[in-house]
Amino acid sequence: MLKVSLSDDIPALEPGAKFRIIADFAAYDAVADREGNVMIKKSLTIIAALGAFAGAVVAVPAEAQERAVKIAGFGAKSGVVRVFGINSEAALKAALEQINNAGGVTLGDGTKGKIALEYYDDRCNAEEGISVVRRIASTEAIIAVGPTCSNVAESLFGILQKKVGDSSDSGLQFPIIADVAAKGGLAKISEWAFRNVPSEFEMYKSLFAWVKTQYPDVKTIYGGVEKDFAHSNATFGVIKAQAEAGGLQLLGQGEWLLNDTTFSTQVREMKRANADVVAISAHPFTTCGVLKEMQRQGVKPKLLIGLTSSSSIETLQGCGVQAEGIVIPTSFAPVTPEAAKAAEQVAKFGGSADLHSAAAYEIGFILKTVIESQKVMGKPDTVAADREKMRAGLAALKETDGLLGKVGRTADREAIKPFLFVHAKDSTWKVLHRPGS
Amino acid sequence: MSYLDVIDTLQSIADGVLFGATYSLLGIGFTLVFGVMHKINLSYAAASIGAAYASLIVLSVVKAPAIFIFMLAGLSGGIIGFVIYVVCFRFIPQANPLATLMSTVGALLLIDEIIVHATVGIPVPYPALFSDVIVNAGSFTLRGDLMFMFALGCLSMLLLLVLLYRTKLGIATRAVAQQSVAAQLCGISIPRINGLTFVITGVVGGIAGAMIGAAIGVLSPLLSLPLTTKGLIVTVIGGLGSIPGAIIAGLLVGGFENLFQYFRGVTERDLYVMLLLFVFLVFRPGGIFSPAAGRD
Repeated sequence: MLKVSLSDDIPALEPGAKFRIIADFAAYDAVADREGNVMIKKSLTIIAALGAFAGAVVAVPAEAQERAVKIAGFGAKSGVVRVFGINSEAALKAALEQINNAGGVTLGDGTKGKIALEYYDDRCNAEEGISVVRRIASTEAIIAVGPTCSNVAESLFGILQKKVGDSSDSGLQFPIIADVAAKGGLAKISEWAFRNVPSEFEMYKSLFAWVKTQYPDVKTIYGGVEKDFAHSNATFGVIKAQAEAGGLQLLGQGEWLLNDTTFSTQVREMKRANADVVAISAHPFTTCGVLKEMQRQGVKPKLLIGLTSSSSIETLQGCGVQAEGIVIPTSFAPVTPEAAKAAEQVAKFGGSADLHSAAAYEIGFILKTVIESQKVMGKPDTVAADREKMRAGLAALKETDGLLGKVGRTADREAIKPFLFVHAKDSTWKVLHRPGS
Repeated sequence: MSYLDVIDTLQSIADGVLFGATYSLLGIGFTLVFGVMHKINLSYAAASIGAAYASLIVLSVVKAPAIFIFMLAGLSGGIIGFVIYVVCFRFIPQANPLATLMSTVGALLLIDEIIVHATVGIPVPYPALFSDVIVNAGSFTLRGDLMFMFALGCLSMLLLLVLLYRTKLGIATRAVAQQSVAAQLCGISIPRINGLTFVITGVVGGIAGAMIGAAIGVLSPLLSLPLTTKGLIVTVIGGLGSIPGAIIAGLLVGGFENLFQYFRGVTERDLYVMLLLFVFLVFRPGGIFSPAAGRD
């Protein structure tokens, strides 16, 4: 009978491996002749020939391949925040395609190499995130980009070595650069942790300073917060502090949970407070629930302010009409040629460019710079050294190129990104103001 | 307590009771399956939300009135219910209670993940009826969409009771629930009744899912787990297997939930709902309406 197998002397399929087709045609002939089924014989011969051809095509000789610098991405690709992972992966792929199509990266020995990405799903779960990064660290990846959720980043950065070179600290020595996890100050946890995430402190500080000049008659603010989500809850603290620093009086705050279904009690209290400004620190699902309840109860503040993460397409799809006029600071809008091109490229990979995924896109180019400046080798036997070079290279950065302009880097490995204010108008996000312009 | 506090308290209770109609429908689904098969279908709430999502498929093709979408949600719920019966119950050994329990947990996660993959987790707007109608009585207001939802919930419960108590199918269903061996000896096909029970509860669940979507205005996979918990609480408080119990308990849980939220805040709300459950488990383990004991 016909058997197709790998040759015994080739232990595993590697670049350069060849398939050997072992066809026991003698045994087959007996059956075929007996049944007179010549057609089957011919068909199998063709299949065997095609198999051999496919094997030859798939197993390209090693020397013909370019060296690949392996990087990993990880984030939520399942669960209710799957959209973060989908967009991040698309943005990374879009950036790497640009880099690789332009010739790739120059490695330490002068050869050219491509950047290869493998993306993992952490389900926005801290334990899963830690497990994924341990798995990534056991591969040849020299750096990981992620995670998408602050709760994952907070726990994950905790397993990394705190201080580089501390022999008493057995923490993981693996560089990670976060693209989405937005809760402030997370990179401080470990010297192996970096972020290309906008500073919400700076964004809301600037927003309330702008509110003071544009809406001099507003005096009071009422807040709404999704209590059980790390990012919303932490950012609400920033919003409150900056609003008060901007001279607004906080009249109260409504609280709800990420998967709540009714908001009538909270909005009733909001209505009674009758504040000039309402600030909602929540993700699109509950932001929409609250905005719809506000419409029902006729709550119409002079100004509506939202959470950075809500400046996405989900909010407009969920409640574009009710969100009309909401002002949100964001670090991305397709307002420069680079940003417009990035949005187009990310869409090509099935994602949507927003303040989170745009950070991932920028990271692709940051990594190229670091790989080249640190003379990364990208060889299996230099993985540990390459990781250390990546960490050192990222730590040494003072400034990077961003889609909206130059991005500053702080001593505690955070980014100072340019940002702008957008507002919802006719169910699209329109740029309202560019600070500094 | 000021006048406004009294109004707010009444308002919280009214809003909660109106929304509680959806909990009642979910509780009925849990309790009916338990009554007939003595099994818990943990995928029920997820299937209900799944049915509401499925009903939106038609909206992506043509513009349809909200009531048509609600009916389609019921129909989708029936189909999903039958699929769950076939996958999670029909061919799984009934003697092992854990086997079906775990298979329905699997179905819950599967349905959730299908929704997440189909929608990328993005909230999807759901149509509502009478959403612009608000009945005002001074400071006291009632939402038109919630009142419609409550009426639709009551109508669905009424139709279900008619089906169970006034039709041959209902008699057969109750016969299987009370004495399955005797029912079988009378010529009633147990698998057929079980399958039909899943279809009926699926239809009820689909309507509940549509009502929930209409009340919130958007659907999200985030809804499945909390609704599963609420459905189970309602089933226990109402009395396992008791349909009137599920109806009353649903309204009760909805009202108490809002009341606790008003007085103690959102972070403590679920704590008190759980305490309510424990109070029932300790002092009235059979629930509000303990069903009459069967001959077994």
